[in-house]
Amino acid sequence: MIPFARLLVRRIALLIALLATVFVVVDLLPGSTARAVLGRDATPERVAAKERELGLDRPLPERFWSWISGVLTGDFGSTARGRSINELLADKFPPTLLLGGLALVVTVVVSLVLGAWWAARQSLAPGVGVGPGAVTAGVVPARRGADTLRRSTAVIRQSTVRILQPATTVAAAIPEFVVATLLILVFALAAGWLPAVTITDRSGFPASPDMLILPVLALAIPQIGWNTRVVRAALVDAAQAPHVESTVLDGISARTVLVRHVLPFALPTIVASFATTVGMVLGGSLVVETIFNYPGLGAVLAGSVADRDVSVVASVVALSGAVIMCVLAVADGIRAWSLRGHG
Amino acid sequence: MKRLRIRGMLPADGAPGVDTVAAEVDGAPGDVVDGQRRNRRRVHRLRVLTVLPAVVVTLLAVLGPALAPHAAETPIGIPFGDAGTDAWFGTDRLGRDVLSQLLYGGWGLLLLAAVIALAVTALSCVLGAVAALRPRIGTLIERATDFAMLLPAVLGILLVLTSWPDAGAYGLLVVALLFGTPYCARVFAAAAAGVAASGYVEAAQASGETLPHLVFREVIPNLREVITAQLGLRFVAAVYLVSTASFLQLPTTLGASNWAVMVRENSSGMLLNPWAVLAPSLAIAVVAVSVNLAVTAFGRGESR
Repeated sequence: MIPFARLLVRRIALLIALLATVFVVVDLLPGSTARAVLGRDATPERVAAKERELGLDRPLPERFWSWISGVLTGDFGSTARGRSINELLADKFPPTLLLGGLALVVTVVVSLVLGAWWAARQSLAPGVGVGPGAVTAGVVPARRGADTLRRSTAVIRQSTVRILQPATTVAAAIPEFVVATLLILVFALAAGWLPAVTITDRSGFPASPDMLILPVLALAIPQIGWNTRVVRAALVDAAQAPHVESTVLDGISARTVLVRHVLPFALPTIVASFATTVGMVLGGSLVVETIFNYPGLGAVLAGSVADRDVSVVASVVALSGAVIMCVLAVADGIRAWSLRGHG
Repeated sequence: MKRLRIRGMLPADGAPGVDTVAAEVDGAPGDVVDGQRRNRRRVHRLRVLTVLPAVVVTLLAVLGPALAPHAAETPIGIPFGDAGTDAWFGTDRLGRDVLSQLLYGGWGLLLLAAVIALAVTALSCVLGAVAALRPRIGTLIERATDFAMLLPAVLGILLVLTSWPDAGAYGLLVVALLFGTPYCARVFAAAAAGVAASGYVEAAQASGETLPHLVFREVIPNLREVITAQLGLRFVAAVYLVSTASFLQLPTTLGASNWAVMVRENSSGMLLNPWAVLAPSLAIAVVAVSVNLAVTAFGRGESR
């Protein structure tokens, strides 16, 4: 428990460091919010007045303290145009949470299934007790010309790898907006099965569930590509532990070995990878929301770029940093739990 | 495949080793060994094929401005006109030739991505080699990675370029460097740890060689495989960042018409002339996918 507590303290310290960095970037980089709001040809007096109104004339430590204490208590202040950021987030964050959450769930489920399937075909298939690492490392000589049964499993394993390896590589490489465009072209325009544009109902959410399918896919596909590879690598890595070999030699079924004896040891790495995926999904939803005209945070952020309104961007960065930190803390917790009594 | 994890590089209580696994993910999975040697020559030929599409598209993008049949900015027909003999891919939303736009709009994007990839790899390589020789720097890199994990790169770029619009392409380069380097340096540090523990490095250390000598003459020359693989992966990541930033209309000084902007601006006419969107999308996809596949394929070749 003690190492876990230390890790947690370190994560929180890093989050505060992130908030400080955000503040420094927003405040110290050239480019004045007041001037951005008023336009290029504002008089110096008007800029000064606006700065006083926004509280930009106070000393730096005071401003930092008021910003960071606001963020930590859940008060993000107001935009340069005077609208409350809390209101804005309360309005726009739930739809993004729905989109991102669904994409995350799809990513987690699909990449766990695909990764486990891939790893099992590769290192836990009957008759192959040790992982491929041992073979390449020269621990076990690669025997060729074995019996036909082994050869036929090898063919299955090979074809799985042949499909999954390039497929995950392709999926992981393509930017979300390209995936989204291709999905729209195929499923919305050519086939006509799914809508390409999101229409909102009165509550601010998409009017029908099928409008969510393409955005979720566009967000999830690149992440599935990456995470499947991480899951596979983590499982294959964990499968090389001596106790796994002994369970295989005991004749326990491959599925039981995988779920009961391999997964717990691979879990910390896998959860940490999903934690980074949270960040990637948040960044990607910006793009995907723009393409599908989805009513969420992405639209607000895209607008704040045009307005040069940093305060909204800073709040969203702070918020997503906090969310990611929580997921990472969960990953740490899982790690501490799976290593209980071993570390 | 080469095991990149070296015990002792990661602190015992450290974050779960995503990047140790990432190093494995990046390289080739140690897949079926049976019959691999038999297929060695065929695999070798296939490896070259993976990188070919990227080379062709890059060549077209570099030579593009000279090859383009029309000027980039002058309309030649109606908006979203059909493909014809005059315009192979039809026209875009302002009636400009899509093919010419395509040929003009690639080199800036690819050049910036290549510069970012080179800068990140070079810096990480040096940092990783130093970290293997000086463990304290290694701890620093771990902390930096934990820190970079908290902030998605796209949001970071959004933050910096919104608060400092004049930074343009240099701002993008700096942010990409800040976000890419920790992860990449961690991979290098893990790979360099093995080299640093080898006899000749210890001998050089014992004979009192300086740190720069150890880093540049003893360690880095032995990291060639990792450098090649990381260069490819960093390029894919940079293409993602540059094109996404450009797509979000951040001030990247990449010019008014590049592939990402084409995708965004022509999407309104997707039904009228799909090529105006499909062609630039495919151009980006082909470059990224082909380089990523090549990294995997070449990684496999080096796994023995």
